[in-house]
Amino acid sequence: MIDSLMLVDDENLFHLVFEDACSLLDISLSLKSLSSSDEAAKLFEKWFKGDGSDKPECVFVDLNIIGSSFDGIELIRKINFEYGNNVVIGIISSSNEPEEQAKAIQAGAQFWIIKSDDIEPRLEQFKEDYEGYKNRTAPFKVYK
Amino acid sequence: MKFNKEIKNELIELLEKKNIGLEGNILKIIDTSDDPNFAKYVEDCKEKDKETRKKRLDITKQVQEKNKELLEVNAENERIMEELQSTLKEVEDAKITFEVQNRELVAWKQDNERISLELQQEMAKSELARIEAEEAKTAAVNDLDVLQKKKQTELIGNIVKIALGVIISIGIITTFMYILALLINKDTQMIGSTWSNMLGILLTNAFSIIGTIMGVKYSGKEDKE
Repeated sequence: MIDSLMLVDDENLFHLVFEDACSLLDISLSLKSLSSSDEAAKLFEKWFKGDGSDKPECVFVDLNIIGSSFDGIELIRKINFEYGNNVVIGIISSSNEPEEQAKAIQAGAQFWIIKSDDIEPRLEQFKEDYEGYKNRTAPFKVYK
Repeated sequence: MKFNKEIKNELIELLEKKNIGLEGNILKIIDTSDDPNFAKYVEDCKEKDKETRKKRLDITKQVQEKNKELLEVNAENERIMEELQSTLKEVEDAKITFEVQNRELVAWKQDNERISLELQQEMAKSELARIEAEEAKTAAVNDLDVLQKKKQTELIGNIVKIALGVIISIGIITTFMYILALLINKDTQMIGSTWSNMLGILLTNAFSIIGTIMGVKYSGKEDKE
């Protein structure tokens, strides 16, 4: 089970869906949901400069975060290349564009989960693959 | 996380009497290994929490679905609104174009009417000029005819005058010679016969000339008629 998880998504309703799905599937113990990539970047910057003990273990980022200064791929790039990396991070989006997925890989994303009504089976698969992501042995995967 | 016996009993009693139990991820970190009763309590709470979360998840999904539908409807409405605005703009543009074209047509019609009026006026002037020209031509023809007749009359008059002059002159000369011959007692037989012949010839010729002139004059009158 993941100790702490962060979701960055502009859709507040999805926060509830994700929280309940994660709880039902015993994916994580704690979940922090944010609505903007700016807010997430600030937190990671703080953790990078501080001790980072309360930093989440895994981060799910939406591709297009409305109301933010930059998108999910840019947030992943910042976390991986500016704020010390060391988290399992990937995209959760309704988009399935190979071009965007290629950009996400470049930014250091480890997975891509297609967001749909039936999110639980994909999260269950992700839970099974999680150890691979944690020890950096699993390749980039798209959960359709 | 571990609870003491007292808290465990209170929690179990709260669940049994008031159906209030622990919820959420805290249930996942409670150590129940040394207490089967409390382990059952935690399992019951987990089941209850799971049921609640399932219900909430279903409802949230439904709301999310409805929300998505509403967003789609809203997007469709916005698209229709944009189309309507675009159509309205096109109609307004077309209206302005029609108005401009209409103004141009009215101006063109007015120009046409003005040109038509000017043309009619010019045609009237042209017709008037034509009539005047025809009249001038007729007048010129008449003048020419009159001039010709005048010249002809003058010529005839001159011919008559010269002819009469010649006749009278010859008559006077012959008569003078004849009288002179009579006065100086010369032979008058020859001059007398010559005089009479000459006079006859002259008179004949004079009448012939007059007749010819009169004939020409009457002939000209008939042609004119």
